[in-house]
Amino acid sequence: MSFEKKSLNCDILVAGGGIGGLSFAVSIKERMPETDVLVIEKQTAGYSGKANKGGGVLQYFDPEKVQPIDFLKLHVKEIGCYLGDQDMMLRYVAMNKEMIDKLSEWGVSIPRDENGRYRVMPTGPMTAMIRADLDITVQVRRRAEKLGVRFMDKTALSDLLTDGGRIAGAAAFSIIDGTFYVIQAKAVVLATGSQNYRIGSMWSSGRGDGIAAAYRAGAEMRNAEFGNFAQLAKVKSHHEVVFGENNMYNAQGEFITRNFRKTRETDISSTAIREWYVQMKSGKGPIHLEFGEGHPGPGASALQDRLRDQSYGQRFREFNESSAAEVDTDLEVCPLFIGEQSPVCVGHDMQTTVAGLYAIGDCSYCGSGAPGAVPAPPGRNRGSGILNAVFAALVCAESIADSGLSDGAKVDMAQAEACRERLFAPLERNEGTSAKEVIALVQKAMAPVEQSVFMSKDRMELAMQYIKKARELSGKMKAEDLHDLLSCHEAEAMVLSAEMHFFASDIRKESRGWFLREDYPDMDNENWLKWIIVKNVNGEMTYTTRDIPIEKWPVRP
Amino acid sequence: MINTAHRIEFFPEKCVGCQLCYKACFVDVIRWDPEAKKPVFKYVSDCEHCFCCQAVCRKDAIRVIPDYSSEHLLQSFERYA
Repeated sequence: MSFEKKSLNCDILVAGGGIGGLSFAVSIKERMPETDVLVIEKQTAGYSGKANKGGGVLQYFDPEKVQPIDFLKLHVKEIGCYLGDQDMMLRYVAMNKEMIDKLSEWGVSIPRDENGRYRVMPTGPMTAMIRADLDITVQVRRRAEKLGVRFMDKTALSDLLTDGGRIAGAAAFSIIDGTFYVIQAKAVVLATGSQNYRIGSMWSSGRGDGIAAAYRAGAEMRNAEFGNFAQLAKVKSHHEVVFGENNMYNAQGEFITRNFRKTRETDISSTAIREWYVQMKSGKGPIHLEFGEGHPGPGASALQDRLRDQSYGQRFREFNESSAAEVDTDLEVCPLFIGEQSPVCVGHDMQTTVAGLYAIGDCSYCGSGAPGAVPAPPGRNRGSGILNAVFAALVCAESIADSGLSDGAKVDMAQAEACRERLFAPLERNEGTSAKEVIALVQKAMAPVEQSVFMSKDRMELAMQYIKKARELSGKMKAEDLHDLLSCHEAEAMVLSAEMHFFASDIRKESRGWFLREDYPDMDNENWLKWIIVKNVNGEMTYTTRDIPIEKWPVRP
Repeated sequence: MINTAHRIEFFPEKCVGCQLCYKACFVDVIRWDPEAKKPVFKYVSDCEHCFCCQAVCRKDAIRVIPDYSSEHLLQSFERYA
């Protein structure tokens, strides 16, 4: 098969049209109106990503009641477990009102009271939420278009192009007609989301292709072992039950939440997932939820009820709920593995270790170091998903505006041609493995939570057998058409993410925050107050560790 | 999810060709036929039952019928007692 080749130019290329990429595009045009900004999105910018399928809530800190340092102390001790970059977390909290004001200014519907103040729903002593309707990304795209941002939908990032260690642009392809694009850019911003392995329905847009492209380009990865988020879902409909961990019972009628939780916590923890596994293994399953009189906690129902006045999101929620209700005859639950690996390592300016390459949103949440020992949003911090993306976007735009754009790097056409040949190879093969066979193997490694969440050396070795087989087959994939070619491209990224997860998890010989190992059950501040950095060196996955500079931060063990 | 058996019912007589369902599908299940000005539900085995296409269609021309039994959460129940 032969497809057209085209060369394009822009000042800044943004890969990914979810809330992170769109917020960056708007913000950089506000700061640098003459800059030529091009957004490529493999589906449709404004409808992609996760912000328009999630809870529709934004975390809110009342500046009269909560000082950034107060929330930082809570987060570092209970969620990040001393592994987070405290400078960045402080900055995130301090920018809360600015971020929400920006979204409102960009046309996002945020309810206000009769005095013009945001309607706030308190969720805890320090936290609160405000609503944002699920057309949030559509509104920000419209704003970006008004500011002159260019968009290319149905165009997938294939690879990043470098020139002597500096970004020179990217290769991309149309999933509709196969056109191969070589795009020269002075800076590239990855906003391609996290890795979710196509297991959870609403999380399925996160397929890690941007993470894989950054890895192949030599960018460092950090906290790859924290890409194992899971929460409880109903066994029949697979619908997630947010806060269901507060109401868990085993088949003998025992209230098992008390085995892992003594007081109310901010959100689900990996200990709830561990408890499900321990109960099931000891023959006390199935596990179910009980609500109502005599049972703790209303779960998420109060919050859900308050989301019903969202004009755009209401139909979406109603269809999902009424359809699930037809099959949910009971409240049996099991973990739904979600993933949320977000390891692209960035500094305080959101720049990766490849000069001129930036990464924002769920692509680099853990890689930024900000949250510490917890997977990407919600990351035990409900309402932080959308705002983390907006935060990273604003910080990235500010740093590019401050530093300016460098135009020294040039695209190497031989490098681009090698990318093209590698990309289209599955279409050229007469026979081979399907992308779905490879993805199924990755899912067998990642989804069982005793392999990926409550880990042990022997169970990780079992999982790695699947990954080894998936890696072997991923070099022999055959694609039937361009849709299938995209699946092959994503399958390759899933193999890499899973490999990184187990590679880094095997190295971290402790348990910390969300990260749980049965064979190393304790937090080890003496040896493991460190980040694990994973990097591609001449095709080999290598690692180093970097000490957490805890002595310069206010909250210490 | 992969290899799901969800079904999508489409009522072409109600469709006004606005393309919103095509745009809303974030997993490339729906393609667009520019001549007919109608969606083509081409890769239904990749459907995630998200209901986005149905929710954005103001003419009620689409109905998603999930088959939840075709989705697999892959928790290893068989390994447990």
